[in-house]
Formats: sequence, C-alpha cells, structure tokens
Amino acid sequence: MSRRLALLAVLAVLCAGAELVAGRGMAPGAVWDVLAGGGDATERHILLQLRVPRLLVSLGAGACLAVAGLVLQSALRNPLAGPEVTGVTPGAVLGAVTATGLGLAGWDSPLAVVVAACAGGCTGAALLWLLAGRGGGDPASTAVHGVLVSAVLGGLTAMVLLVAPGELGSVVQWLIGTTEGRVWQHWHLLWPWALAWGTAAWLLAGPLTLLRCGDDTALAAGLSVRRARTLALLCAVALTAGAVAAVGALGFVGLLAPHLAVAVLGADLRVTLPGAALVGAVVVGGADAAAQLFSRLPVPALDSGRLVLPVGALTACLGAVLLLIVVRRTPDRTF
Amino acid sequence: MTEPVGIRLEGIHFGYPARPVLQGVDLTVRPGELTALTGLNGCGKSTLLRLAAGLLRPHRGRVLLGGEDLARLSRRATARRVALLHQTAPAVPGMTVRHLVRQGRYAARGPLGMLREGDDPVVLRALRDVGVEQWADREVDALSGGERQRVRLAMALAQDTRVLLLDEPTTYLDLHHQLDVLRTVVRLRAERGLTVVMVLHDLGHAARFAERIVALREGRVVADGTPEEVVTPELLADVLRVAGRVGRDPEGGWPVCYPDHPLPDHPVPQNTRI
Repeated sequence: MSRRLALLAVLAVLCAGAELVAGRGMAPGAVWDVLAGGGDATERHILLQLRVPRLLVSLGAGACLAVAGLVLQSALRNPLAGPEVTGVTPGAVLGAVTATGLGLAGWDSPLAVVVAACAGGCTGAALLWLLAGRGGGDPASTAVHGVLVSAVLGGLTAMVLLVAPGELGSVVQWLIGTTEGRVWQHWHLLWPWALAWGTAAWLLAGPLTLLRCGDDTALAAGLSVRRARTLALLCAVALTAGAVAAVGALGFVGLLAPHLAVAVLGADLRVTLPGAALVGAVVVGGADAAAQLFSRLPVPALDSGRLVLPVGALTACLGAVLLLIVVRRTPDRTF
Repeated sequence: MTEPVGIRLEGIHFGYPARPVLQGVDLTVRPGELTALTGLNGCGKSTLLRLAAGLLRPHRGRVLLGGEDLARLSRRATARRVALLHQTAPAVPGMTVRHLVRQGRYAARGPLGMLREGDDPVVLRALRDVGVEQWADREVDALSGGERQRVRLAMALAQDTRVLLLDEPTTYLDLHHQLDVLRTVVRLRAERGLTVVMVLHDLGHAARFAERIVALREGRVVADGTPEEVVTPELLADVLRVAGRVGRDPEGGWPVCYPDHPLPDHPVPQNTRI
C-alpha cells in the first residue's frame, strides 16, 4: 500500500516537472538554469512568478476536487456522485459569472472571484440541502436532487452570460476550467483552505468508511449516520468551492480520481483519501502539462500565438476515457 | 467470561402512519438465553430486533438492556452493548475481510480511534471465532454468500457485546452454510455467555438450536415457550398459516415439522371494497 502511495507521489513530482518545462517562451534548459539560481530577469519572472504558482494551483485544485469527490461518493454511496452533480460546482460557476456580470469582480481580481465562487457553491449546496431533506437522509434522493439543482444552476449561468456577456473569452475558459494566468495570490488563497478542509475530511475517514458499508450496517456499528453524512457533505462542499474558485469548473476530476484511487489503493480511506489527493494532483498537473505542450504545437490553421488549450477540456476528455477503462475492467463495481 | 446481560421490552408500541407494526409487546429475554423469533413476513420481527438494538425508538414503552434504558444511551454507547446482524448488506468494493471486521470496532474506538493503525485483539479473535482468518486479506465481494455471512458475523462479534441479535442469519444460504452459521452462534454463546435473539423462518432450526421460541402475529406475541411447548400443528396453522404435522427427532427428541400446504389468507370482511 505504502509502495503504491510512494509511486503516486513520484508520479506527481514527474507531472510537476513536466508542467514546469512545458510552457511557451522558455527553453527547458533555461528552467534548469533558473532553478539552479541563474537565468536573466525575464526568465526568473516567468518561472517564479508565473509557472510555479500556476503549477501549485493546478496540483492543489486537483487534490481538492479528488478528495471532495471521494467524500461525496462515500457519503452518498453513489458511484456517480461528484462535485459536478451536487450543485456545488455549478453554483460556484454561477456565483463567479454573476459577480463579473454585475461588475463586482473582474477576472484580474482573484479575491473577488474566489469569494463570489464560494458563495455560489454554498448556495448550490444549500439548495440541495433544502430540497433533499435536511442532513442528506437518503443517498439516492440526494443524488437525484443534486442533478436537478445542477441543471437549474447551469441554466441560470447561461442566462446570465446571455444578458451580460462581459469578458466572454475568459468566462468560457473558466466554465471549462483553466489554470492559465493563475498567480501567487490564487495559491495563497487556495492552500490554507484546502489544507484545513482536507484535514477535516481525513479525520472523517472512519465514519466515511462505515458509510460505504451502507446505512444499516453503519448504524448497527454505532455511527450516528445523519451527523456523519452532514459533516462529510460540508467538507466536500468547501473543498469543491475552493477548487472551483481557483481554476473554474474542471470537468470529471472529482468523478474520476476517486474511482482510480479506490481501484489502486482499496477502500481503506485513511490511505485512499490522501491517495485520491495525489491522483487528483497527477491528473490535473499532467493534463495541464499536456495542454501546454499541445498549445506549443504549431497549428497553421489557427492563430497559434493566441491559442491556449484550457486544461479543463483535456481533463474532461481524458477523464471520460479513463473512467470507461475503470468501468470496463470491473463491470460489477457499484461505486 | 463476564455476567450475561438480559433484555427487557416493556409495552412496546411502534408503527408508521396508518400501519401499526408492534402493538404492545412485552418480552423479557433472560441473560444468556438463546431465543428464536418467528412469524409471517411483516409481523414485526425485524422491527422488534431493531428496537432492541436501539436503531429505532419505540413510540410507547421502553427497552432495557441489563437494566439500562436504551433511550438514555447514545448510538455509540448502545453499539458497545448490543450488536445486530442485518439480513442483507450491500456490496462494498475494494474492502478486505480484515478491514470490514475492523469496522465493528467503531463503537469502542470512536471516529479518531479508527484512524490508528493495526487490529486490536478483539478483531483477531472475531476473525478466528468464525474461522475466516485465512481469508483476512481477500476482498469481501470476491467471497461466496456463505463465506460473506461468516465475515459479517465476525464484524458483529468485533463489537464485543454481551447481546447479539441476528435478523434471519441463514436466509439465502445453502443448508451447509446455514448449519455452519447456527453452530458458530451456539458455540460462541456457550463460550462467552452471550444473550442471543435471532429471527428464524425455519422452525426446524429454531426447535433444534433455541431453548425458547417466541412467535409474533400482527405485532403481538402469540406464543412463547420451549420448542416442545410451542412447536405444534396449531402454531403452524395459527401463526405461520400452514397445515402440517409435528413429529419428534428419532434420536434427540426435539420437535420436527412436516409442513404441507399454505392455508388460505384470512377472508376479506364483507363491507371492504377492493
């Protein structure tokens, strides 16, 4: 088990390294120079002020989404539960888009966007909480209501965009999820939040493992099921809102990474929760590196000087493929 | 071996809107007794077990466990005193036998205690008790139904309680595994002085292994006594709604049922519209 965790950690470091050298405007050798203490002012700025924070934000957001997904899937005993279908991600998107549309926040002011996204995410979760019976009594009905809430919030976002298109280009990138232009300010907002709620989620590993066994078994073993589920959902909402506020609605990470983590590490959440964080970091970090490499390919038909592939587009495609593999390999797995 | 603990149900009423389930049940299970609970589907057997395990709260009446009122105990404190094995449990992907049995320690260890590495002696004992220690690191979902039931029994035993409640522990099992589970329960109860109440549909098993049979009909206790007293053709007809004969085991002398055919359902009253 610990060997597999170590392997995941190595993979995460490799992805991080790939992402540092993948971007445009700087040769891989120059990256090494800067890391060794050399390089000119421009190179130092690119690496230390742009690439490193971008890398950290993408790893952190991936970890947040993956942990949130695993917590949701365990607490709701539902293989399709993920941040996208519990109203949190769409709520956060709606919050950020609305704030921008009203002129309260611009895409160059990270703090305002983060606050708006968090508020939106919490609104989405609160809506779900009101609809599905306080405390998330029944996992199946919670999941159904989550899809409903997500659909409505997605529709509202589309309406806001039609009325107040604003800086449409960057909004669209954000709807898909991107790590483009993330700076230290984003990272400073993300990490304390992620660390606090991630730790809280890990402390819930015992109750969450029991919730995976089904409510009847968990109750008989002495777990106060409703209270445990409410706390777990709170952690998941907070982690998702943090991640979405930082990088936008990255598709599929919160759904896919938990499945991969359980397939590789088993159902012992004490190990699998940190493992899922690593998987999420690897997926988003790797996808971001790949997206930057793609963007470097000279595509004559496109204005390749301006073309930037958003990482969310890649995670969604990659996620779908990987999820298919997981489902095909273990046809009778439920969650 | 510590002193066995008794269960006392006093004037229990429980039900759902428009459907009363239990209508004034009084039942005292003496410490160390092995009791079988029987009756038709929907007569309230499982509900009675859930009430006795503190998973449901009675609308009226109270449940006492060794003199303590369950209404005053938290969920965790209750689970340290009484374990309940449910009839079925959903699949849990990726979970090993050892890991599932360890979950039975939640009540004793608490949410943070579950984060500690390692098995305590109770888990190892529970694995040995039901003879699954050789598969401890296999996945539960890869086991057969009979093996899985043994593992789930081990999880309940890992709660290390004085009282063990079993809801149809042998349903869905072949005869070999039915007897395997029942014999394990009988042996452990003798070794540990457990108080055991189990729902059994097979009156033959109940008569063979239980010292006392309690029959429920429409939420009330309608028969209560030793197998010799309770297992009669009248009980088969009145409570289980089957016609049949009752004989004796040629060697052991306990009652053996020869059920034959189901009796017609109760006639519908004249003025009821269907």
